Order: sequence, then C-alpha cells, then structure tokens
Amino acid sequence: MTRSDGAQYQALWPRSPRQAKVKSLAKRLDTLEGKTIGWLWDYVFRGDEVFAQLEESLKARYPGVKFVDWGEFGNTHGSDEREVVAALPQKLKAKGVDAVVSGMGC
Amino acid sequence: MVLAKAASGGLGMPNLQVAPVPGHPGLQSKEVLQRNVREVTLAGVVDNLLKLPAQVAAAGEPGARDIICSGSFEEVNEYFIAHELSDGLPIVPPTLEKVEAFLRFTDLKPEEVLGVLLPDSRAATVWSVAVNGVMAGCRPEYMPVLIALVEAMAEPAYGVEHSGNTPGGETLIVLNGPVIKQLGFNYTQGVMRDGFRANTTVGRFWRLYLRNVAGFLPHKNDKATFGNTWRVVVAENEDVLAKIGWPPNCADFGFNAGTSALSIGRYTGGNHISSVSGATPEALLPYIADAVVRQYSWQIMFTVGQGMGTLRPLILLSPILAETIAGGGWSKQDLKQKLFDHARMPAREFERILRDWTQKPIWNLAEEHEAGRIPSVFHESDDPNRMVPIVFKPEDYMIVVTGDLGRNSCYVFAHNGVLGYPVAKEIKLPR
Repeated sequence: MTRSDGAQYQALWPRSPRQAKVKSLAKRLDTLEGKTIGWLWDYVFRGDEVFAQLEESLKARYPGVKFVDWGEFGNTHGSDEREVVAALPQKLKAKGVDAVVSGMGC
Repeated sequence: MVLAKAASGGLGMPNLQVAPVPGHPGLQSKEVLQRNVREVTLAGVVDNLLKLPAQVAAAGEPGARDIICSGSFEEVNEYFIAHELSDGLPIVPPTLEKVEAFLRFTDLKPEEVLGVLLPDSRAATVWSVAVNGVMAGCRPEYMPVLIALVEAMAEPAYGVEHSGNTPGGETLIVLNGPVIKQLGFNYTQGVMRDGFRANTTVGRFWRLYLRNVAGFLPHKNDKATFGNTWRVVVAENEDVLAKIGWPPNCADFGFNAGTSALSIGRYTGGNHISSVSGATPEALLPYIADAVVRQYSWQIMFTVGQGMGTLRPLILLSPILAETIAGGGWSKQDLKQKLFDHARMPAREFERILRDWTQKPIWNLAEEHEAGRIPSVFHESDDPNRMVPIVFKPEDYMIVVTGDLGRNSCYVFAHNGVLGYPVAKEIKLPR
C-alpha cells in the first residue's frame, strides 16, 4: 500500500465482549462398564453408521455398557434443533444417561 | 478440528475434545468407514469419556472502546488485516469522531445490546455496529439500516450460527420503504452490481459484522467449501409495485406498505433467467417455473429432511415482467400459487437426491408423509413419477420486483433453508 497524506488515526476495536465465560467441563466417568451412553446426531455425515460401529466396539471392550439411540433425542441440526436441544437435560435424565457423544462435524 | 476448536471456544469450552474420523465419511466405503472408526475414532471417544482435559483460561481481549492501533491510513489498514479484523479491502479507520457521527443517527444507547451472536457469543452492541459501519465505508445516516440488519442477524429463526457451513451461502438483503430513495439505494438497472454507495457499503458491512462480532473467519469458524463474496443490497422498485397493485416484500413479513424495512435470507447460488417471453402470465409461467426447479438440487433437504418446510425460493422479477403478469390479472399471491402448482419434480428425483446422492437419512416420501412430517401433496399416490412441489406451501415463495425497467428477465435464488431462514425487521429512524 502506498504512503498517503501523513494523517494519523486512532482506530477503535471493532469486536465486542464475549458473553460466554469459560465453563468447567463435566466430570468424566471412572469406567464405561455398567454406564449408559447417549448418542446425539445431527443427521449428516453417516453418523448412524459411525455410532453403530462405536456401539459394537465399545460393547466388545465393556460388555456391561448400555446405549440410548440417537433417534430418542431428535435431530440436533434441523428446523426444530432449538427445541431438541432444550429438551435434552430432561430426556437425558429420564433415560439415565451417564455421558453423551455428539456428532457429526466436518 | 479447527472449526471444532474455534466453535467450542466461543461457547466457553475451549478445552472440549473431539474424536476424529479420518477423511470424509461421505467418500468412504462401508468397510473403510468401519475400520476408521474402530482404529481411530474409538480411542478418541473412550479417551474423552474417561479423561478430563486440563482447564484453559480465556484469552485477554481489548475493551469495547479501546484504541487498538494508532498510525497512518496504511498502518491502520495493515494492522487490521494482520489481526483478522478486515475483509482484505481497505477499511475506513474507525476513529471516535467517526463512530460518534454514526451514533447521532440512532436513539439507542451505544452500549445497548441487540442480541448475542454465535459462534463467538459476542454482544451485538450499537457501538460495534457503528464501528463496523465506519469501516465498511457507510455514511452515518445509514445507521438505522445497519441496526435493523444486526437485529435481523440476531433473530433466532435466521440461524446466524450456521453462517460458516459447508455450502458457503451468502446473505441477500432486500430493502423496502422510503429509506430506499432517502438514502440513495439503487433499485433499477444493475441492482445487484457494486458501484452504488448505499447498496455496496451496507452489503459490505454485513460481512464485516459477521466476521468481527459473530466470529466467522475463513479457516476458522467459516468453513465454506468455496464461499461467496458478500452481496450488495437489493432494493425493491416500489414505484412499479404501486402501479401494479402488488404488496412489497416486507408485507410478507407483516409490515405495511410504506414501512421502511429489510429482510435477510441466505442463498447458495442463483441464476439469471434471460428472455422470459410471452404476452400473458400463462405464457410466462412455464419458463419461470422450470427455472425455479432447475435451481434446486440438494437444497430440497430443507423441504423434506434437515429443514422440513423451510425452503423459501426467492425470485426477482424485472418490472416489465411483473407488469405483464399483473396485467393478466394475477396478484402476487396468484403467482405464488401457480409456482407451487407448476414448479414440481418427479417424486423419484426428489428421493434420489436425498437418499442416493447425498446420503441424507430420508428414504422415501411415503414414510415421511405417514409419519406426519410432510404435507399430503407429497404423497398423493405411490407413482414414482408423480409430480411433487419443492416447498410446503405457496406462501414459501418470495417475489421481489426490481432491476432494469426495460428487460424481460428474472433471477432465481437457491435458498439455504433453515440455515439462513428469511426474517425481517423494521428500520427505525431517529426521532
């Protein structure tokens, strides 16, 4: 960029304060044996197949692990996503879910 | 992985972990996908369920009114580009004097919050609207338009959080009301061309605000595969509307004709349709309806699938086309009904796009209809060649009259459904 008229500018910050403060993540499980895992899916990128394979592999490693299918919760990335996400705390509690795996991103 | 890191930071969980699937699932055989999940993804899932990542502190940032750079025009611009605060074009340095000039064109207080914008979760303050308006090259009197735009951006139904998604759709702003002439917006020939200060700089403001406040930066939260440049504002030709007795676009959103208002919606593409010929609306309709269907491929997932009735095709009609259609006795609603009835595709094509080509979990229209998720017009028989609409109802069509006064063209936009659903806001001038 070529030099111009020599005028000086004091430029302001164009962003604004973040409203989300850093949160602590949920406590992790000590084992998956005997625990219930819920799958949350956004209905893209073959999550149904990915979760099915994960279930099979986890079951082989932790025979007592249980799962709650993604279909129980609804699409987390669609026209009713806000309602689906808002309903999650109650649904997860009602189904005795100890941990969730949410997918799929890209 | 970069997107996940950027998005989780904005949500206050910068240490949230992910379990990767190597490559892209959409391009892998069943066997390869299963192997990738077993050999790579599984370990990440187990690790994340059993091990708590170390806490991460929030990075420090300037205050809302801090001066972040002092220097010449060139030095300020280099600083803004280096710190990812610019779109790459020269910006007008946002000085206190210039920002205060913008603030004189609103009755709102500078610290007032118009909404909180994902993914960065930043407050959309009136102050930040003014700062970015200065940068975009707007005039201070555009401030009421900019405020209405950010109010629309913050409207939950619009879904600003999806603005960095794969298709890279770009927002189109449609303007109505006395502000069009008061502020000098182009509403005739070349309406989508840059070169008109109001149309161009307000369009640029939109993208700067998405970047600086919402947080959509390419290679971070903005993961558009290809992307689009921002679109200039399209203003409707209300002189022609008055002549033919059609309501303005803002009336679709509940605003009276004569109200200054704007609508926004996200579109992944569009096409100019040339030489739309015929002396009657009946003669013009087949070509326009065909052009509408040709714009829609994977986007029908917003009609049946991811969006469920959220597809809103937008058609710009040149004034003489609208005059010819109205001259044949058709209202704007009549045209929408005719498009609903005639812009259709065979059911087998609809299902093929969703099921076979894009691997969306929609297997057939009959199942969706039986589940009560779609209107019965999609399954009036089991004939795979039956013609089905591309929207749920006639009112889903949006019609805007604008462009060259003497040319018989239309422009059809491919809408991005629930990921940029049309919303509108009134433009409130200062008292």
